[in-house]
Amino acid sequence: MSRTAKSALSCRLAPLLLAAVLVVAVLIVAGTAPMAFAKGAIVLNSDDDSLSLIDTATYKETSRSYIGRAPHHLMKTPDGKSLIVALAEGNELAFIDLATGLVKQRIAASDPYQIGFSPDGKWFVANSLRLDRIDIYNAANYQLVHRLPAWTMPSHIGFSPDSLTVYVTLQGTDELTAIDLASGKPKWTVHVGPQPAGVLVRPSGTILAAIMGTDHFVEVAPQDGHIIRSVETGRGCHNFLLSPDGKTLYVTNRVAGTISALDAGTLAVTRTMVAPGGPDDMALTPDGKELWATARWQASIDVIDLAAGSLKTTIPVGRSPHGIFVH
Amino acid sequence: MIDQFLRVIDQVQGAIFEAAIQPVLYQFGLMDWAEDVFDGVGVALFGALALALAYLLFRPLELWRPVEHWAERRAVRTDVVYTLVHKLGIVPALMFVVLTPIGAMIDGYLRFQGYIPPALEQLLPALRDWPFATFLAYIVVLDLGEYWRHRLQHRLPWWWALHSLHHDQRQMTLWSDDRNHLLDDMLATVWSGTLALLIGVAPAEFPLVVIAFRVIESLSHANVRLGFGRLGSPLLVGPQYHRVHHAVEHARAPFDRARGCNFAVILPVWDIVFGTWHPARHPANRDEPGFPPTGVAGLADAATSCGFVRHQLEGFRRLWAALAPFVDRRRPGFVAAFSRE
Repeated sequence: MSRTAKSALSCRLAPLLLAAVLVVAVLIVAGTAPMAFAKGAIVLNSDDDSLSLIDTATYKETSRSYIGRAPHHLMKTPDGKSLIVALAEGNELAFIDLATGLVKQRIAASDPYQIGFSPDGKWFVANSLRLDRIDIYNAANYQLVHRLPAWTMPSHIGFSPDSLTVYVTLQGTDELTAIDLASGKPKWTVHVGPQPAGVLVRPSGTILAAIMGTDHFVEVAPQDGHIIRSVETGRGCHNFLLSPDGKTLYVTNRVAGTISALDAGTLAVTRTMVAPGGPDDMALTPDGKELWATARWQASIDVIDLAAGSLKTTIPVGRSPHGIFVH
Repeated sequence: MIDQFLRVIDQVQGAIFEAAIQPVLYQFGLMDWAEDVFDGVGVALFGALALALAYLLFRPLELWRPVEHWAERRAVRTDVVYTLVHKLGIVPALMFVVLTPIGAMIDGYLRFQGYIPPALEQLLPALRDWPFATFLAYIVVLDLGEYWRHRLQHRLPWWWALHSLHHDQRQMTLWSDDRNHLLDDMLATVWSGTLALLIGVAPAEFPLVVIAFRVIESLSHANVRLGFGRLGSPLLVGPQYHRVHHAVEHARAPFDRARGCNFAVILPVWDIVFGTWHPARHPANRDEPGFPPTGVAGLADAATSCGFVRHQLEGFRRLWAALAPFVDRRRPGFVAAFSRE
């Protein structure tokens, strides 16, 4: 065989060789088995596209598996059967069967970042922080009902108790906006303070908005958005969690590295607990004894013993953990 | 072991961000950018890791088996600056600030028209349960995109005017990979952003593999007498393969159809498929040097061995020279303006 012919042959063989190498690499490295789904904590590692399962008894990460691009937030569906995971860069919603842990459905959705269901379970809202947009879906079939431009950086979501209004913080313009869910029309938009983040609607209907660029959150009137008062918690006031009994309000302060506990009735700070690493989203264990928070900047979970009011342990997880669910 | 290593990087990233950067963001009312800046610190850290690996692995090779010996290495220092501003995140940060708002505007507009960028695993559902295969599929498709961007860089006179900055280095080393004009970097970002609108973004689950590919790109520019042989050459771009692309001989006009070759960035298969593959020693020409000198014929003056800022200004001058004939037909244009050696 001449050298030219040999060269031509190696040209033809090269793609096959390449394919063979890729196939071998795939067989060696690839694939994630379906995860076991015992009771525990589920954490979304937003910067490495994975989902961590953690045993809440041993504080050990039992598995970490790929879930999709940029998973940020998750929550239970209104029927309580599934977990809905918002994959922002994946442009989809993944539904995980809570009984089996398997992804049973994926629905295309445009850049879903923060998500929320209205209290009556009829509306599903997904914000695109990156693309300045709020999507309002029919929660029964996830069909888009309204797509609204939201200038700029629509972030956290809260709903009025009557499920008629959704409240969204606009981080880029320091505002809180109220939108009528049925018509998709804004009711009011007010300036609340630098880089507002978390939203929580109290049973009375007043709205709490965490002002991340400061050390406090504000309470806002639902009728016209005027600020009723502000409550100091800690630098980088970021997100809220209300205990199931409605008595205690927890607030993450991501710059200070603390979590404030407040009397949910009076909004008086009762305790400040250390939570290193930029605490973000929170969840309570079913027995109510521990508060788990994602530490975005340290790729770990802060576990706080609520009886002692102190950090019990930190659990290493994937990069930039954001959403957390404990069951 | 790997997990522990990645864990250390995570800890360092968090420590730098919390100690030095977050307080500044908080002070200046920029906390809405906290996540993006935190990710930027990660980019810089992984870039530093790729840089350290490339230096530790390939500098000894350059000392052991260099293709060329130089008494004066001043021109290499410019490439060191290029590498540092790229790998340590300064240029990526600049691109993010300048181009992200424009990209978001276009992407946002398309969403309102009902267009959602599909991911590869939505186009090829068989990939769905195989994240690493999905990742590799992105590597292959993105590398194909890079191949065609690179061909256009050589084919279009105005783009060649910019890309000639990458090629005018006569002392090509492991530092030369990032030697690009900032406008060229911007075009590369626009190119990858456009691809992201077509096929979505690659999974981020395999950062060390991404680093490995970046290290390979440094190796392909190294001043080392190393080829991957008859079997390896068609599989992965190496120093000899890419040196042939950088050869003075192949940088002459008209660059592409007649002489340009070996445009692939990672996978030589694209050169083979599209007919631009050129073995280091072509069977038809056994006298060809296996490790040819690099550079652009006719460009060997101070403007090719100068510092970073002057080199950037030189890029604007060349771009203007390439565009000038559109304004005034009597002007020679960049390609016609310099002589052949």
